[in-house]
Amino acid sequence: MYRYDEFDHAFVSARVEQFRDQVTRRLAGELAEDVFKPLRLMNGVYLQLHAYMLRVAIPYGTLNSRQMRMLAHVARRYDRGYGHFTTRQNIQYNWPKLSETPDILTELASVEMHSIQTSGNCIRNVTADHFAGAAADEVADPRPYAEILRQWSSVHPEFSYLPRKFKIAVTGAPSDRAAIQVHDIGLHLKKDDTGALGFAVYVGGGQGRTPLIAKKIRDFLPEEDLLSYVTAIVRVYNLHGRRDNKFKARIKILVHETGIGELTRQVEAEFDAIRDSELKLPEADIRAIETYFALPSLSERPEGWEALARAKKADPAFASWASRNVAPHKHPDYGMVTISLKPIGGTPGDASAEQMDRVADIAERYAFDEIRVSHEQNLILPHVALADLEAVHEALAEAGLATANAGLITDIIACPGLDYCALANARSIPVAQEISTRFGSPERQAEIGDLKIKISGCINACGHHHVGHIGLLGVEKKGAELYQITLGGSGDENASIGEIIGRGFEPERVTDAVETIVDTYLGLRLDPTETFLAAYLRVGPQPFKIALYGEAAEAA
Amino acid sequence: MTRIWKETGFLDNDPWVIETEERKAGEGERAILGLDAFLGVVSDSNEIGFGVLIAPGEDVTKLQACLDRVALVALAFPAFNDGRAFSHASLLRGRLGFVGELRAVGDVLIDQIPLMLRTGIDSFAVTNEVALKRLEDRRLPAIDLHYQPAARASADPGGFSWRRRATPAR
Amino acid sequence: MAEKVLTANRLGDGIAVWLDATGQWTENLQDAFVARHAEAEAALENAGREAFVSNIVVDVNVIEVDERDGILRPQRLRERIRALGPTIAYAHGHGFADPAFIAA
Repeated sequence: MYRYDEFDHAFVSARVEQFRDQVTRRLAGELAEDVFKPLRLMNGVYLQLHAYMLRVAIPYGTLNSRQMRMLAHVARRYDRGYGHFTTRQNIQYNWPKLSETPDILTELASVEMHSIQTSGNCIRNVTADHFAGAAADEVADPRPYAEILRQWSSVHPEFSYLPRKFKIAVTGAPSDRAAIQVHDIGLHLKKDDTGALGFAVYVGGGQGRTPLIAKKIRDFLPEEDLLSYVTAIVRVYNLHGRRDNKFKARIKILVHETGIGELTRQVEAEFDAIRDSELKLPEADIRAIETYFALPSLSERPEGWEALARAKKADPAFASWASRNVAPHKHPDYGMVTISLKPIGGTPGDASAEQMDRVADIAERYAFDEIRVSHEQNLILPHVALADLEAVHEALAEAGLATANAGLITDIIACPGLDYCALANARSIPVAQEISTRFGSPERQAEIGDLKIKISGCINACGHHHVGHIGLLGVEKKGAELYQITLGGSGDENASIGEIIGRGFEPERVTDAVETIVDTYLGLRLDPTETFLAAYLRVGPQPFKIALYGEAAEAA
Repeated sequence: MTRIWKETGFLDNDPWVIETEERKAGEGERAILGLDAFLGVVSDSNEIGFGVLIAPGEDVTKLQACLDRVALVALAFPAFNDGRAFSHASLLRGRLGFVGELRAVGDVLIDQIPLMLRTGIDSFAVTNEVALKRLEDRRLPAIDLHYQPAARASADPGGFSWRRRATPAR
Repeated sequence: MAEKVLTANRLGDGIAVWLDATGQWTENLQDAFVARHAEAEAALENAGREAFVSNIVVDVNVIEVDERDGILRPQRLRERIRALGPTIAYAHGHGFADPAFIAA
């Protein structure tokens, strides 16, 4: 993974001191709240219902054990002993004191971490495939480019006061595990016929009030033009994005209102003017950054195959975990482990300080000291020898981190919702907990198979409900919570926005509604290999509407 | 009270006046015209040394043909978080090659001044009390290490091509 | 007129607070000063403005409460959650909001 050089260290230190000065001035009353607010947001400090919230960046979701231990330390020393991993591969703390945030940032800086631009109307954390560098189907590791973009976008003087937040995601495999088509810019790293590396560029995807799938603006952008092209897109956005209405200020609205043809023309014209400027990436720099992301030296561990088979036979719980939570690695003796942060009935994405420390220990011992955060709020150990899976599983189980539910119905994505968030209209976590408990039986989960439920507590869609196979959107109706259900969303390479199927459900009826949907699916699927999403795409919403609302009341 | 600041210090006797309905440039003063007014005047005259005000939603490339006759471009920041003028500045200094004075007017606050300087703005009409005080004390909250080239010239700190280091004011 | 209390978050640590009868900010909603008529509400608003300008609190709001059997209960769900904290067991050593109080 990337290691800071002197420049990086000095920059982050200077940034912390700059923020410390701003906090001091704010607490002394020299800086008014309306001026301070964008400054604190650009350092990831929100004000929520109960307290401040600090969002710490985990660049493209990659961290090592030393960093994870620091996250645990911050949770213990400055917060209430836990943290929440987010749908943008970051971590959030819910109870920091503003007065202590500069100290938190100083401690984070000591392990090459920061909270720069995790909020505010600027370029946010560049996210990437959580299996990057390890996945068997990967064409090339997208993370070096994510790192280049991360650096280039840090305290960019032209792009610090955009109309709204700006999110970029990168993937390097034909299978899109980074949901690039619902980002402001999506980059699909691939090779052309000559084997040269470049990107398909997508623009204007996003969720929220107006969910839209991104449009492809370039089929192949050579890697050397990455910064020039992104500059062109963001400059056009900065100049022409709407600033009159917060809910119409993202680039997706600009694309929608301008038309992709005209917008492409504007971007290409801007790009033409700057493509040969100092933003052109020298090959030497790209290759130099790539070396940070080289695969660790993975020794041959062929004994793992037999060990795995033996262990599976001996322990059904291990067998189910190994088949569910371990994905194929590019090296045959290794696997990619998903550490589920979705215990049955628990809070999706939360981890205690003790659990973070445990993960750090396991990563250091068995996983080449590398950990990832997925946008589905789980942790990943990308490089684990099959021979070590049993030991890893045992260690995880001791820490309550061995739930064998990766991609299953209880692997729910949920935003913090009205339990924490000042923007929310309804709670997400209790809904997730109840659904998880209802479907908690391993047999039931196995029977249902792959099914992504995503829950958002408001239209901002931080729970990514629009791209859930089953999406739940919490709204407020007459002072009470209500949940709208969408079906058929997907964040992968066949991205789609879920369709609303009818009137919403009260909190006490939501879990039953989900069960009705699941039972309907089980009743009409061709066979157990037809997933929920595939079945939905085949039959459409009708059978589900009828099951939920009855024959007469199909229309919402 | 509004004072004009450059990196060399506060200016006394700044002659520039943003012309409005109520206020026109008088004796010894120089007018800053709105973009449309300027474009109307410039084609009919042989004068040089104009001052032009660019509002956030305006197209700065309209100045391209007559930029050599412009001595000062004022960029409006009606709200400190309206970031369009940062792009105006970048385009003026970069693509359009403007070498005259580039001035930030409007809601100019101390925390944005370092970013404004990097996009090539070199003078500032400052009203905010805290900003005035900090500028008097020469305490700008700047980070001198940059992760990207910008309109203002800066030094190469070595290492990756996109990095820069601030150079002191000339 | 509905009964009103003044709420905000403390500047330094962000903790949700309510203005009590002595003009102090308390972490317990039940100790909040209740405005029962227009003048009292106006006084609350003034106190809120002053506290904001004095950099003691941020995000100041007058909110509606119902008083029943001596218990103050905010009319909005959001404010009931603010009063008692998250409604789930979120951390060791911290409870969760009483469901009966939270319920609509």
